[in-house]
Amino acid sequence: MRVLILTWEYPPKRLGNVSEHVNTLAHELVRRKHEVEVVVLDDWRQGFEDVYGVHVHRVANPVKTHPMASMLTYAVTASLPFEAESSNIVYYHKQQQRSIDVIHAHEWLTVYPAIILKHAFNIPFVLTFHSLEGHRCHDRFSAPSIAIKEIEDAGMWESNEVITNTDWMRNEVLRYYGSGHAGKTNVVWPIGEDWVDHVVSVYQKVAK
Amino acid sequence: MRVLHISWEFPPRVIGGIASHVYDLSRAFARRGIEIHLTTCNFPGAKEYENVDGVNVYRVESYAAGDSFLGWALRMQKNLERSSCDLINLIKGVDLIHVHDWLSGVAGIGLKHLYRQPLITTMHSTEYGRRTGIHNDLQASIHEIESWLCGESWRVITCSYYMRDHVSWSLRVPEYKICVIPKGVDVTKFNFGFDYWQTRNRFANGSEKILLFVGRLVPEKGLDVLISALPNILSSGVNAKIVVVGEGPQREQYQQMANDYGLAHKILFVGYIDDWTLRTLYRVADVTVVPSKFEPFGIVALEAMAACCPLVVSAVGGLNEIVDHEGTGLKVPMNNPDALASAILRIIRDVGFKDWIVNNAYQKCAWNYNWNNIAAWTAGVYDTVLHEYYTGSWKPTN
Repeated sequence: MRVLILTWEYPPKRLGNVSEHVNTLAHELVRRKHEVEVVVLDDWRQGFEDVYGVHVHRVANPVKTHPMASMLTYAVTASLPFEAESSNIVYYHKQQQRSIDVIHAHEWLTVYPAIILKHAFNIPFVLTFHSLEGHRCHDRFSAPSIAIKEIEDAGMWESNEVITNTDWMRNEVLRYYGSGHAGKTNVVWPIGEDWVDHVVSVYQKVAK
Repeated sequence: MRVLHISWEFPPRVIGGIASHVYDLSRAFARRGIEIHLTTCNFPGAKEYENVDGVNVYRVESYAAGDSFLGWALRMQKNLERSSCDLINLIKGVDLIHVHDWLSGVAGIGLKHLYRQPLITTMHSTEYGRRTGIHNDLQASIHEIESWLCGESWRVITCSYYMRDHVSWSLRVPEYKICVIPKGVDVTKFNFGFDYWQTRNRFANGSEKILLFVGRLVPEKGLDVLISALPNILSSGVNAKIVVVGEGPQREQYQQMANDYGLAHKILFVGYIDDWTLRTLYRVADVTVVPSKFEPFGIVALEAMAACCPLVVSAVGGLNEIVDHEGTGLKVPMNNPDALASAILRIIRDVGFKDWIVNNAYQKCAWNYNWNNIAAWTAGVYDTVLHEYYTGSWKPTN
């Protein structure tokens, strides 16, 4: 299976836990003979790197200045380099008569590129929520918080499968964004020997 | 040839000048036999899909929460981009993507990479020009987006040589990438029968000469210069009145200025008026005055020329290129009330001269600023870009 992972964190960039999570996931997938392309936003280390079989594409946000504390505009402009690099990857594989089977997006930050790529290339996408805006932000009626929740909601609607790390998180996702999504919301505890096998089984549900 | 236009406004959604520009240009393309698809923001009461004189218009859900105008504009463009993807897949590809300003440019950049088709951008204005400099982070990020957009575009189109230079230095775009194509005006729209005196009496006494000002009431439009020129005109024995069409934040200030001169009865603020009334006003006015301090193009000048109303403009920006001094109008240095007053007096007093410039201006309008010609010139840019694209190596691989 050929997987395109979109994330904001991949070592050596580390903001939170997602970096280590995605790193483990990518290497375990490669160990299981899957092909992994990772596109990561990393303003300081642009370029391609082959990390023991994981193809890491680091891209930078072309817009450096943003209004004070506007995570929103930073995230939406950052969507464009994700789309551009992912398109290059898709066209590269097309040239070799291959295709990307599934896109795996992490967090709301990569929801926009995942949606756009799904619509443009008709590739299904899986979305993992490590956290939710409703928990992170205590000013829940502020404009940026509402905007980010809208983006999370769009991710819930557009994704083909959703993954959460705990049963509690699954309940929270369904509480925020509607129990109608219960059928496609999976729990994969990211511990133990075989959790990556569970992730692969989610991929297999959506891959054509 | 199949071209996708993206614009953040299209009639009936009209906010700035881009809506009418895209409306006229895309219809002129359709008349030339170019297949035009246009995605734009939705508007209450407007249809989701519509065929407007051969232009396929798709209106896309544009409501999105944001933390600022920028936040909204970026999220709105993600919606435009997503729907454009569906559209392009449905119609099996487009040859070119043409966007207007950064308000649709970000969507264009994404589509360019997703479908590997050339991107063409029309820069109607710049953040640097609108704000006379970059003063805060919000403006800086828009400025950066504009520079990025021009870098991603195969060609950039500007409406005047002045704007070419401005875009070139402020956004760091090499000049060979920039094509200058003016905006247009439809002269036939100004040719209709109406009751001259009835219209005129609505705005002025029979003996008053109407000095027409059309524009938003913001500092860069320079209405204060015209008001300062008024005492000079009146003391020269010409009974004149300024009719101001447009609204804006400076209105109070200009009203106060007129009161201070004791000339409140010689200035009429009519606010926004409908297109037809505005066209009749151009027809009955004695002089149209455009005293701007910054003007990328100056569509008001074109409208006055098409309506056979004599023009006095300040020699800035695009106005400098539209008007030939003593040929199709009079140009004065910007911010100079004395020069403005004497130019206005010259047109009012010398009827033969007035007829000469009005006739020249109309001829220039009918040819240089004709939408069919403008569409032809723009199609020339399309041909050049497509030729370079086909002979190049950057293409989708199927």
